[in-house]
Amino acid sequence: MNENEIIKIIAKTLNIAESSINMDSSADNVDEWDSLGHLGVLVALDKAFDGKLAGIPAMATADSVSKIFSVLKENSFI
Amino acid sequence: MKVAINAIEYYLPSKTEDGSNLKEQNPDWRIDDIQAKTGINIRRISAPNETAADMAVLAAEKLLYSKVDIEDVDFLVFVTQSPDYLLPTSACILQDRLGLKKSCMAFDVNLGCSGFVYGLAIGGALIEAGIARSGLLICSDTYTKYIDQDDRTCRPLFSDGAAAAYLTSSTYETLGPFEMGTDGSGFNNLIVPSGGARSFELNERKLSMAGSNVFMFTMDMVPKCVDALLAKAKLNIDEIDLFVFHQASKLVIDNIIRRLELPEEKVFTNYQDIGNTVSASIPIALSDVENAKRLNNGDQVMLVGFGVGYSWGGCIVHWNSGA
Repeated sequence: MNENEIIKIIAKTLNIAESSINMDSSADNVDEWDSLGHLGVLVALDKAFDGKLAGIPAMATADSVSKIFSVLKENSFI
Repeated sequence: MKVAINAIEYYLPSKTEDGSNLKEQNPDWRIDDIQAKTGINIRRISAPNETAADMAVLAAEKLLYSKVDIEDVDFLVFVTQSPDYLLPTSACILQDRLGLKKSCMAFDVNLGCSGFVYGLAIGGALIEAGIARSGLLICSDTYTKYIDQDDRTCRPLFSDGAAAAYLTSSTYETLGPFEMGTDGSGFNNLIVPSGGARSFELNERKLSMAGSNVFMFTMDMVPKCVDALLAKAKLNIDEIDLFVFHQASKLVIDNIIRRLELPEEKVFTNYQDIGNTVSASIPIALSDVENAKRLNNGDQVMLVGFGVGYSWGGCIVHWNSGA
């Protein structure tokens, strides 16, 4: 799975346009990325990675695109 | 264990809150989105002067007046994180208020959503060891008193309630095995930080929850607990007739179902109109299961509680209404 596909998943989960998401997007600057929205993102990504993300506690606080990419890279998912 | 959950009764406060109440007080909240994810439509709110011990009395009295001989109550285990006082132990006060005999042992267990399963293990062990013949396991909490009106993480979830279970010896092997666990590294993610000795000077007791951390813990640990329990019981997952998980929320239970690939019809839920009643949620659900006649004698039920601590516990109940 590449970074563009992950951005698609995040945008779809938050119900916003894919074009409005970039590396700087986060819970701080996307209204829909609130605490419940973040849980939705975690679930969607866990599904996309066949249920393998639940064992990575750092995902819980990865509330920006750059942090998500960083955690996924650290754990060799992308 | 040759120990049975002989009877369960519960009490819920009469005051309710729904989405319209939340919207009225917090116009900027997206209530439809919140309810879609939590699945919780109605929550119960204890009265300002109503404590967990008060609710415990009301739940236990339903048992004592109908299904329990008070002289047979050798122990009272009270699971709560909303005690009346720092000390004395609420269970001691309940012994007196319920009119239990003075030879009844009584103590509190300070656990949340895993507390009912821990209470079953403790009460069951007392009976199995011959220390007691039978006793009461009461779970009661008033988390809503710890939650601010504008707390969007906690307020849509938590509800107040109490459940009382009567544990007795059984002719049959009806309880167990158990699978318990603890990960105290997550203590800070669901906490009332004030009021204890570490922050005694703070008077305001407010619940703080790092929701995504608790959610990820749940997603990771509950399936592991279920798998370990099945291995201990030498059962396949399809041999479990009903799963009764702590009624955390729709989001949590749906994702447990997904991760364990469970058939939805085998997972009981009642969070929709009751909310998350912390330690009381599993016994309240079990009572509703019994009232709905969802089980037959010989069915195997898996209970799993999980949450604050972090703490978790699961066990198998071999259902036998005549035990």
